[in-house]
Order: sequence, then C-alpha cells, then structure tokens
Amino acid sequence: MSFREKIHWIALVGLLSAFGWYFLSYPWEIANSPKGMYTAVWMLLPVTIIFLVPMVAGAAFFAIRSPKDADLKEDEREKGIHLRGTYLAYYPLVIGVQLNIFVLINGFNYGYAVTILIATLVVAELIRVGSQLYYYRRGY
Amino acid sequence: MPNSFAWGRSYIIIGVATNPMAQTPFTNDIRTLRFLAGEMTQGDLGDKVGVTRQTIAAIEQGRYSPSLEVAFRIAHVFGKPLEAVFQWTANAG
Repeated sequence: MSFREKIHWIALVGLLSAFGWYFLSYPWEIANSPKGMYTAVWMLLPVTIIFLVPMVAGAAFFAIRSPKDADLKEDEREKGIHLRGTYLAYYPLVIGVQLNIFVLINGFNYGYAVTILIATLVVAELIRVGSQLYYYRRGY
Repeated sequence: MPNSFAWGRSYIIIGVATNPMAQTPFTNDIRTLRFLAGEMTQGDLGDKVGVTRQTIAAIEQGRYSPSLEVAFRIAHVFGKPLEAVFQWTANAG
C-alpha cells in the first residue's frame, strides 16, 4: 500500500469519526435558531481537532517509517486517480448547494443552512476519498 | 502465472490475469523481463521509470494502462522494443 493510499484511509476514518460525532451530537431541536447556528459553528472546532490530529499523526508515523515513499512525487496513475476522485466529488457538491438554496427559500435557516453546507462538504469529501481508495485498490 | 486481486473476480487471458472491472486490451512481459534483468524488483523498475512500485504492479497485472511515455521508458530500461514488452490482444478491448 502506497503512502498516499494510507493517508487516504486515515482521512476516510477521520471524516467518518469527526463528522459522525458532529451529526449525531448536533442539537437538532434548536437548529432553526441563531443559537443553533452558533452551536454548529462552534462544534466545528472539536470536529477539526478529531479530523486533523489522526491525519497529522498518521502522516508523520508513515513518513518516519518509510521516508522514501513519503518523498515520492505523484506519478501519472496517482494523478489520474486524484483527478477522477475530484471529478466525482463535484456532483454532490453542486447538489448540496442547490439543496441549501432550496431550504433557505423554504424558511430553514441558521443551523440547518450551516449543517447542510457541512453535510455537502462531507459527502463530497467521502465520495472523493472513497472513490480514490477504490481506484487505488482497483489499479485505476 | 495468475495474479490475485483485491476487487472483483479474476480470470486469465493469454497468461496474464485480468480483472473484469479494469481490463487492459494488452498483455505484457514485464515480470519475465524483470526476472531476466537480474531479478529486478518492482520498486527498482519504478525508480528507473519514475513511477511508484504500486503503479508497476498495476501495469504488470493488467490493471492499469500506462501512458505511451511510461511504456517506452519501461521498454528502454530492458533495452527492448515496445512490442517486446507489451502485446496487443486482438480479441480484447
């Protein structure tokens, strides 16, 4: 398994843990209020820590274990995998933004808007990282 | 020699294991050529060509089609013409 693939696995686990906690812990009963919006924004602080700490620790661990792999530049196959994943993630991003416009027009504001934007990013990232991992396993 | 894959069912076409999900329309003799070149490792070949060991493994197993440049670089490492390394399979693709 290449260094980048390992980092992708850590990112996937980090995304699922951090945002899994966020969506399960968010107080949905106050979502449509200013307090709901501030809560959503403040909850991003622990989410960032839960996501970043394992990423940095994992990257450092694997870089120390195999520095040669960590120094390698992306080759053509990895660039292709990178581009395909980003391309696939574009569609949920567009759908999420449209959904956000729809809920804003229909009176769901504050926490709902922030949470839907976060969900959009998370789904797009999960599709990007997940598809890249799939392509890494498949070959391309 | 058949290879194993993490994804999907594998089967064999003209000696090279392929995956129905990612099948290249050509076979290659990279594994044999590596063996004949002093048991060169995939990592060594990758270093000479400028790609990762995993990319060489994917090419070797028929799971990835390299660019023309990488294909030529591989052939150049073994001192062979391109068609001695990669062979188009008429019934594939």
